[in-house]
Amino acid sequence: MILITGGIGQGKHKFAADLLHCDANSLTDGCSCELSDVPGCSCITDYHILVRRLMDNGIDPVGFTEQLCREYPDTVVVMDEIGCGIVPLDRGERIWRENTGRCGCIIADNSHTVIRMVCGIPISIKGELP
Amino acid sequence: MITLITGGSKCGKSRLAENLLEHFAGPKIYVATMQPFGVEASAAIDRHRRLRAGKGFDTVEKYTDLHELSLPDNCGVLLECIGNLCANEMFRSQSVSYPAERIAESIIRLGRTAAEFVAVTNQVGCDGISYEQGTADYIRQLGIINSLVASEADRVIECVYGVPVMLKGVLPC
Repeated sequence: MILITGGIGQGKHKFAADLLHCDANSLTDGCSCELSDVPGCSCITDYHILVRRLMDNGIDPVGFTEQLCREYPDTVVVMDEIGCGIVPLDRGERIWRENTGRCGCIIADNSHTVIRMVCGIPISIKGELP
Repeated sequence: MITLITGGSKCGKSRLAENLLEHFAGPKIYVATMQPFGVEASAAIDRHRRLRAGKGFDTVEKYTDLHELSLPDNCGVLLECIGNLCANEMFRSQSVSYPAERIAESIIRLGRTAAEFVAVTNQVGCDGISYEQGTADYIRQLGIINSLVASEADRVIECVYGVPVMLKGVLPC
C-alpha cells in the first residue's frame, strides 16, 4: 500500500497517475465513484471525501478502511492533509476530521511508503520513493 | 539561481528570504506585490519595510501583470509574495480569472534573468475546510503556480518557524 498525501493543489493526483503509468482521470475518484468500486481498485483518490460519503451512507469509515487495508494491500490511496486548521465548532465536522485522521493513520500504518507532496515535490516520510 | 520559499503564514519566510540575499554583492530589488488595502495590509507592509531597512533593496511595486516587469540582468531579486500576486490577478475584476500558468511563466522568466532570485509563496489548503468556489479556486491556482515554479527552481525550502526544511536542492552555508 502507498499513501500519497499533502494539501490541496500540491500535485498528488499527477504523482499517483505517473506512478501507475495512467491518466489522472482514470483513477477511482473518491468524490464520485460507487462505494463498491473502492475495494480492488488500483488507486482511490480524495479518500478524505470518501470518508464523508461513507459516513453519509451509514458505513463506519474506520471499519471500511481496516478491511480495505487487509484485503487489498496493493491499493494506492490519495488523501488530502486536512488537520492544519482550527478544530471546527460543528460536531459533524469534528467527527469527520476524527474519522479522516484515524483512517489516514490506519492507511499510513499499513503502507510501506508514505509520500507527502509539497509544491509538486514528492517527499517520502515513510519508506523509499518509488 | 531560483529559490522558492513556502510555508504557512507568519512562519519566518520573509526573514529567511532576506537572509539568502544578505551577502549578494550586486544591486538588489524587492518586488512588492501586496496592495495597501486596509489597516492590516498597511501594517504588514510597514513591518516588512522595517525588516528590509538598511539591507540595500530598491523596491518595485507590482501588484498585477508581472509579465510587464523587466529587471536589469544579474541583480538579486526578492519577490514577495506569490499568494498576493495570484489573488490580485484572480479577483481584480468582476469575473474571476485563472492566471496560474501566466504568473508562473513570468516568475520563471524573471528568475532566469536574475543572478539570484528568491520568491516567497504561501502554503494553503491543508486545513480541511470546504471553502466557497472563489477561495477553493484560489487555493488550487496557487498550488499550480507553486508546483510550476518549484519544478524550475534550483532550491525549494519549506519554512517552519524560521527553520529551513529543504524540499529540493541544498541550503547555502
